[in-house]
Amino acid sequence: MKVVVDGHELDLPAGTSAIDAVFAAGRDVPYFCAHSYLSPVGACRMCLIESGSPRKNPDGTFVMEGEGDAAKPKIFWFPKPMAACTMQATEGMHIRTAATSEVVAKSQAGMMEFTLLNHPLDCPTCDKGGACELQDRAFEYGYGASRFGFDRRHADKHYPLSDFIILDQERCIHCKRCVRYFEEVPGQEVLDFIERGGHTFIDTEEGGLPVGFQGNIADICPVGALLDNVARFRGRNWEYDHNPTTCTLCPVGCSITVDARNGRLERIVAGENREVNEAWICDAGRFGHGFASEGRLTGPLVRVNGELRETTWDDAIAAMRQGLAYTNPADLGLYLGSDSTLEEGVALEALAGLLGTRSVDHWPRYPVGVNAPAATMTDVATADAVVILGADLGEEAPVLELRVMEMLRGGIIPPEFPHGTAIADLRLVERPARHPERLAVIGPDSRLAGHAGIRVTVERASGGDLLGALLNPRTDEARAVLKLLTDAKQPVVILGADVLNSPSGAFATQISDLAMRTGAKVLAIPAGPNSNGLSHLNLVPRMGGLGYARLSDAPAAFISRLDPGKRARGFTVVHDTHLTDTARLADVVLPAVTNYEKRGTIVNLEGRLLPLRQSALNAGEAADLTRTLAALAEALGVRTKVRGLKSAQALLRERLGVNVENLPESGVIQSLGQRHEAPTGLRHTPNLWTERMVPKPNPSSDPRHLTIDPRWELPMAGQPGGDD
Amino acid sequence: MSYFADKQPLVADIFSRYPASPQGRRSALMPLLREVQNAFGYVSETHAAEIASLCGTTATEVRSVMSFYSTYHTVPTGKYHLQVCSTLMCALAGSDELWDHLVSTLDVQPGEVTGDGRFSVQKVECLGSCGTAPVVQIGDEGYYENVTRAKCDRLIKAMRADIPPPPDNPVPVTVREDGRQMTAKGERVGASIHDLAPLTGSEA
Ligand code: SF4
Ligand code: SF4
Ligand code: FES
Ligand code: FES
Repeated sequence: MKVVVDGHELDLPAGTSAIDAVFAAGRDVPYFCAHSYLSPVGACRMCLIESGSPRKNPDGTFVMEGEGDAAKPKIFWFPKPMAACTMQATEGMHIRTAATSEVVAKSQAGMMEFTLLNHPLDCPTCDKGGACELQDRAFEYGYGASRFGFDRRHADKHYPLSDFIILDQERCIHCKRCVRYFEEVPGQEVLDFIERGGHTFIDTEEGGLPVGFQGNIADICPVGALLDNVARFRGRNWEYDHNPTTCTLCPVGCSITVDARNGRLERIVAGENREVNEAWICDAGRFGHGFASEGRLTGPLVRVNGELRETTWDDAIAAMRQGLAYTNPADLGLYLGSDSTLEEGVALEALAGLLGTRSVDHWPRYPVGVNAPAATMTDVATADAVVILGADLGEEAPVLELRVMEMLRGGIIPPEFPHGTAIADLRLVERPARHPERLAVIGPDSRLAGHAGIRVTVERASGGDLLGALLNPRTDEARAVLKLLTDAKQPVVILGADVLNSPSGAFATQISDLAMRTGAKVLAIPAGPNSNGLSHLNLVPRMGGLGYARLSDAPAAFISRLDPGKRARGFTVVHDTHLTDTARLADVVLPAVTNYEKRGTIVNLEGRLLPLRQSALNAGEAADLTRTLAALAEALGVRTKVRGLKSAQALLRERLGVNVENLPESGVIQSLGQRHEAPTGLRHTPNLWTERMVPKPNPSSDPRHLTIDPRWELPMAGQPGGDD
Repeated sequence: MSYFADKQPLVADIFSRYPASPQGRRSALMPLLREVQNAFGYVSETHAAEIASLCGTTATEVRSVMSFYSTYHTVPTGKYHLQVCSTLMCALAGSDELWDHLVSTLDVQPGEVTGDGRFSVQKVECLGSCGTAPVVQIGDEGYYENVTRAKCDRLIKAMRADIPPPPDNPVPVTVREDGRQMTAKGERVGASIHDLAPLTGSEA
């Protein structure tokens, strides 16, 4: 399909919207209401263009213009500027943007003036200042002068929609992104326009926004109307160090940007990864970052006369040397959290090999793995049937839930252009028709179960055999699930904690049989954010070794970022970010960095290798596991192969055959070979929002927490004023 | 308290006017709202929630739709709900002054009902009777036209005695086939298609 934009001809796939045609041509058009993953509605009227198309005569030939060889199909221009986001580019269409059309430039400036008519000039105090689409576009496309000599619309400036999201009603430009987001993405119609005309505001009648995915509206609001209340007033956009990295709170591995200021983590916003999280993240990932900057351990501690005292790394190493002097290194248990990176895992494996220790473990993990064709997130979104077996996605892998919702509304994934994801995909529609019949949920109740066409309830408490309910169906519903799987062309089976925790002996074979028989791909949700990656390293108890469950029987132990609340029989070293209950019991406590401050690699639930990058957070002398293990090795008087990131990555290349340096933004799926499994003796209960993640009230947004230095007290402090 | 629980035939009748799909079910929102409002004079939160669940939608959407139309009320209205048109023609003809006079005489503001339960007031957009501005609509019944201050006082007095005169123009207005509108008294209002004369080039 040939389209001409500002005189440049380009070849575009059919179905491309006019706005994407403009961007594909390397030109620009301002827009507010269009969003890559939402339906285009033409609400803001900013993306105006002039457009025209050739027309055909009744005999099928084109209406021509010009004489002889110079004759060209005549272009019939629309009599007025059109919204580019809701218009489809068609064969032979001509488009003019503001760069070449006076009419467009004037209409856009006029539209901008109209939008600003009801928008306060809050830029100096607005959290969106410096990252605001309205601000940028007003600068580029507005008149540059104001004709408003009157008082503009006033409305509530601090209207909380929930604990996490605060609305400034007068800043809203009625683009409807937030309303469409809730309807279309998580399928919760809790926001809408109330009143009309100049009085319109956004509100909910449902008593607040549902926790799960509400934070995304703060990202997509093009102005400072919807703000992240946890990060509000913490800093200006240009003061933040923006660090794109990967969230490691659950095994999905969403792309995020960590915004830090003065060494503190102030905000997390979603990044785009078309393959994993598209443009969305869950509320836990966005709002649950308080622990990264609160109450951190910044230096080592050693126990002196029964009490933990601050010390230096050198003294901590000396203390370990002394404490472990009479322990057989092979008796030292090594335990690490499952959100450790591959680099850290391989470092631990190397040290364990060197010491000959058999008590190695990572937690959380499940006792089995699944050998069946693995489904990717995109497979889930584009499947024609999804069966969820014993999983509460809200706790185990929230964004996977959004991909299942995407499947329900037809699995339309916006195409990709050189300028990125399509800005307006005309196949996405408001209030999309959903296909609940494509989703079956077996197991206890969950949020997603409400959207499922087929429900089979087998209660966790009754110790019900969920897989059995599917394989040997006894009820009509169960038979319907099996039929759904057999009839579908691209089915996906998702396995969660309730089946993976206590598998029967035949579990692995049953699953691969099922996959073989039905052609289903299987997505087994790992227990920890990087359990998938770590399971390819030999980090499970070897013959005669003590697993994590039996840690307290170990003669001595090194515990990294795990908090079982107990210690080993003998000398215990804890490596953690905070002074946990376990750390309080330890002999030596070593400060750890959080995953926001790490470089390394994790493997998400699809088997995708994703990079972690280091944010500028203040963590004192904290170290990651790789360097900490090097210190431990020094204390034990051995020389380990891995002494830092580089050597860990070299070893990974040797060990798993992967090159994890310079991973692409969106990660790569690569086979990591054999998995190592072992019984755990423990049950893992997925729990996304751990206690330390619950945000504390933001002192700067709540005046009750203001500490006023009397010397600097101003007369207006504590009195209503400003924009109240 | 559920309003529709014992009105299954009515509910079924309303739904039968729309396609039997989730989208169709939502379309029944407006007639259901009208039904409740006719019965109570307004739609309470409880009733809005009931309607939301009948239509398979959320209370937020019900409120959104209700607030878009000035004809639905979320708070009780008086026996005489006076809607003053405040759009341009009526404004030019003095509807602002009329409104001020009305609210101060009745001592009532939008959203309130007078102590005796008789009056409530509301500003509305163009009632489509610009030719007879300023216009006041009473409830759903009809229009009082050319409402001067004196006429307003007479109307209020009559309503206080519960003997209001019939509206000058009942709603729905009679519109004849040729597009001619007739008042309740049978008088012709405005033009009909037959009165339109084609423009000639020379006149333009
Ligand atoms: S609150 Fe923001 S996202 Fe929602 S309609 Fe207003 S401007 Fe758009
Ligand atoms: S879904 Fe998982 S990876 Fe994504 S933001 Fe939430 S916790 Fe982080
Ligand atoms: S009208 Fe808003 S982007 Fe096109
Ligand atoms: S302006 Fe009042 S009826 Fe039209």
